[in-house]
Amino acid sequence: MSEDVYTLEAKDGIRCTWQNWPSNKVTATRNVIPICLVYTPLKEIENIALVEYEPIACSRCKSVLNPHVAIDFVSKAWGCPFCMTRNSFPSHYKAHISETTLPAELMAQYTTMEYILPPVVALPPVFVFVVDTCCDTEELSYLKSSLQQSLSILPAEALIGFITFGKNVYAYNLGWTENTRCYAFRGDKKYELPQIKDLLGLIGNDPRSVQTGARRFLMPASECELALNNIIEDLSKDAWPVPQGSRPLRCVGNALNIAVSLMELAYTRHGGRIMLFAGGAASFGPGMIVGDKLVDSIRTQSDIKNDNAKYLKPAIQFYQGISERAANNGHAIDIFCCAIDQIGLLEMRSLSEKTGGYLVLTDTFKSDVFRLSLQKIFSRDDTGALRMGFNSTIQAFTSPDIKINGAIGPGIGVKKKNPFVSEVEIGMGGTNHWQIGSIDNQTTLSFHLDIVNQEPQAKRTHAFVQFQTKYQHSGGRSRLRVTTVKYPVVETANIAKFISGFDQETAAVIMARWAVSKSETEETIDVIRWIDRTLIRLVKKFGEYQQEMPHTFRLCREFGLYPQFMFHMRRSQFLQTFNVSPDESAYYRTMLVRENVTNSLLMIQPALLQYSFESPHPTPVLLDIASLKNNVILLLDTFFTVLIWHGDLIVKWKKLGYQEQEEYENFRELLKLPVADAQSILVERFPVPRLIETDCGKGAERLLKAKVNPSGMGAGNATVESGNYFTEDVSMKTFMDRLIEYAVKA
Amino acid sequence: MFLVNWFYGALGYLGLYQKNAKLVFLGLDNAGKSTLLQMLKDDRMAQLEPTVHPQSEELVMGSIRFRTFDLGGHEIARKIWKDYLGSVDGIVFMVDSSDRERFELSRNELNELLSMEELQNVPFIILGNKIDLTDAASEEELRNALGLDTYGYYGKDLKSQPGVRPIELFMCSVARRTGYAEGFRWLSQFLK
Ligand SMILES: Nc1nc2c(ncn2[C@@H]2O[C@H](COP(=O)(O)OP(=O)(O)OP(=O)(O)O)[C@@H](O)[C@H]2O)c(=O)[nH]1
Ligand SMILES: [Zn+2]
Repeated sequence: MSEDVYTLEAKDGIRCTWQNWPSNKVTATRNVIPICLVYTPLKEIENIALVEYEPIACSRCKSVLNPHVAIDFVSKAWGCPFCMTRNSFPSHYKAHISETTLPAELMAQYTTMEYILPPVVALPPVFVFVVDTCCDTEELSYLKSSLQQSLSILPAEALIGFITFGKNVYAYNLGWTENTRCYAFRGDKKYELPQIKDLLGLIGNDPRSVQTGARRFLMPASECELALNNIIEDLSKDAWPVPQGSRPLRCVGNALNIAVSLMELAYTRHGGRIMLFAGGAASFGPGMIVGDKLVDSIRTQSDIKNDNAKYLKPAIQFYQGISERAANNGHAIDIFCCAIDQIGLLEMRSLSEKTGGYLVLTDTFKSDVFRLSLQKIFSRDDTGALRMGFNSTIQAFTSPDIKINGAIGPGIGVKKKNPFVSEVEIGMGGTNHWQIGSIDNQTTLSFHLDIVNQEPQAKRTHAFVQFQTKYQHSGGRSRLRVTTVKYPVVETANIAKFISGFDQETAAVIMARWAVSKSETEETIDVIRWIDRTLIRLVKKFGEYQQEMPHTFRLCREFGLYPQFMFHMRRSQFLQTFNVSPDESAYYRTMLVRENVTNSLLMIQPALLQYSFESPHPTPVLLDIASLKNNVILLLDTFFTVLIWHGDLIVKWKKLGYQEQEEYENFRELLKLPVADAQSILVERFPVPRLIETDCGKGAERLLKAKVNPSGMGAGNATVESGNYFTEDVSMKTFMDRLIEYAVKA
Repeated sequence: MFLVNWFYGALGYLGLYQKNAKLVFLGLDNAGKSTLLQMLKDDRMAQLEPTVHPQSEELVMGSIRFRTFDLGGHEIARKIWKDYLGSVDGIVFMVDSSDRERFELSRNELNELLSMEELQNVPFIILGNKIDLTDAASEEELRNALGLDTYGYYGKDLKSQPGVRPIELFMCSVARRTGYAEGFRWLSQFLK
């Protein structure tokens, strides 16, 4: 894999499993790993062309003019590479266009660019806070101070709504000049939209009058900040008594229903997010995931396996219904889950998945993971705009021999049959058009492509794909981001070209995404077997070996890391369920399918850095038990957690207080280095990872020991000891040996 | 269907029908609760991350079908131990016998559990784990450190001791697969 893939990623936010594409279906199938694009539509791109006019679209397929089109300067026309239609330029283009005078969208460097679209009205984003008041007083006070803090940094023009829930739902009147301060809804009642409209006192059928009526619930921050601050200040624990042996009654489902309905009534297809702050499980009303008696514990992996989770299916269905409504209205739902037990993320994951909403899982509202992540959501870019887009749609266009199987990632598909859509569906399939309520510069989707050409010969030398992402910028205007990419098509026999163009990092990531998507409907063990079979087929095809002679096996550089990624993927929290709750599984899986290649890879195979006196700079070391040396400090980055680990000797020196002595300045510096690096990771990443510092032999060391390759563990299942480290897990060596055995088999 | 039911029925008649029992695994973080559970479940030693959410497994040991709950042992996780103690049939309280610095903390947590009204008749096995480590405490030392003598001495044999609370300490090493089986055998007598 060449350096090029990173350059292309920086320029277009796209990576592809193969840089050179096969010309026909048979070859594509034989290459084992499909053609997939991993795309970050709103990636921050340096010097991106931002123009304020409407794009020129192909008269037939609506793809947009781009640097890859063929131009006829004489007759002033261009050929659409997607539907092959010849379009003549509009008159104002005709007047100026020449080989030397080109509009931005035709300049070679602007394969990705952005249009600011008419009309020139700015829609302020809407934020509806949905707040759990059943937490204990301490938790509630942490939550309240975080809410007040975010209130103070919200854009003044943003519209704010405030809803709380316990046994009932309360929608707050932020104007509060009239009589009622809040409108109550029963937690266990099923409310339909017209009923909610009546109860909120909203009248009229045109959006304008509904919006006017809804103004007391959704008000500009600048006007309601004071009132809302007081409301939050006065918020106390839900008054409904909780008897011994019971859990508090939380009607999470109905609270969301009210919030989604309010948004649907007043601001359909106008950017907004519903932010759910949950401190415990939904235990009351629609969407409950557990009963109110503590002896009935929250469903576990084994309950689910034994079909012994009576609330599971109805709850999943309920939240999917809510999610789809929000998604269709162009809204997002965020979940901030801060509890030490499960809250029902498994049932609720669609809220964030289908809408692109944020998902943060941690154990308390006190944690930095929650506090700092929430602050980060409201951070601004250089222009003062929030770093998020709303109400977005993504459309994909492909050249004639290529069709779209589907997309994996946040959002929903808008079913649409057209020439770009393949019969074979993967992920959100049957369409080339997706909708995501909220999208930011990190949101990433993967797209599976199908080479449909059945003839052995290539029909064209290049393949093209275009993405059009329309969204409401947080500044209020509508924007269109267009990315058009081009890949060479090579003949079947040219295996060297395929090999040199293989992007194993992207391949590992799309396999991981695909596996996660499959695991929703298939048994985990079957998914693992499928990963294994794919891996065996891949090394069988691209490895060099003589049949039945394992020692002759070689894998070239381009494929060399792929087996190791799969080794880590198989034993990761994405596929293993022991000691991982259903909520945790749901969380990790949802997070994986929304990240870019680098971050996803970090989740699959964490990075390990070593700090020692030998080198002034941190050096990457193998994720291997052998890297846990006495005289080093390690920094483990799993994306979700950043762990700083001190080797035994370092711990002894610390205990002796060397870092305080003048003559050991370099020791002091050594201790500081990883802390500074960890801080910079915390600053960049969302959600903010958990930071843990630990010493050799301490409990938190397990985070590292659970991830490393148990090398030197001999063949198979012998218990071996290296310090206090016992495992019978398969080592990478054993895994590779088995893999090679299978690969060289006739 | 008929056949299957009849089969179970016959087993039940012979006294082999499995009983159900709810067991809760408690103890400070890093004691070895999850490691033990994995061992009991898959007969396999593995490296696990600290437990965050309560975990549950179904295990069959002897003639009893156990539904186990493994709760995290770190400070925040301990807050919800009490949520899982309703209608429990036995408690497995695990202590890292090499972690002397935290014996006192273990003792406090254990005492708090032992003084709970609803657990007065519930058997406790206390497992002193990691005896394979050279600096592990002896049974004597751990018994003292945890203040177990104040509850009387039940004894490890399978006779019932009227008037003495069923609490007993077993030293074990999950890594070496020793010690804990005796503990579960001892516990089983109370579940019959
Ligand atoms: N030497 C030794 N180490 C052990 C033994 N049993 C477990 N360990 C190690 O001690 C640690 C115990 O970890 P866990 O089983 O996750 O501990 P836990 O009690 O479940 O902790 P939490 O989940 O944090 O509450 C692991 O690193 C195990 O490898 C043992 O018998 N001997
Ligand atoms: Zn066209």
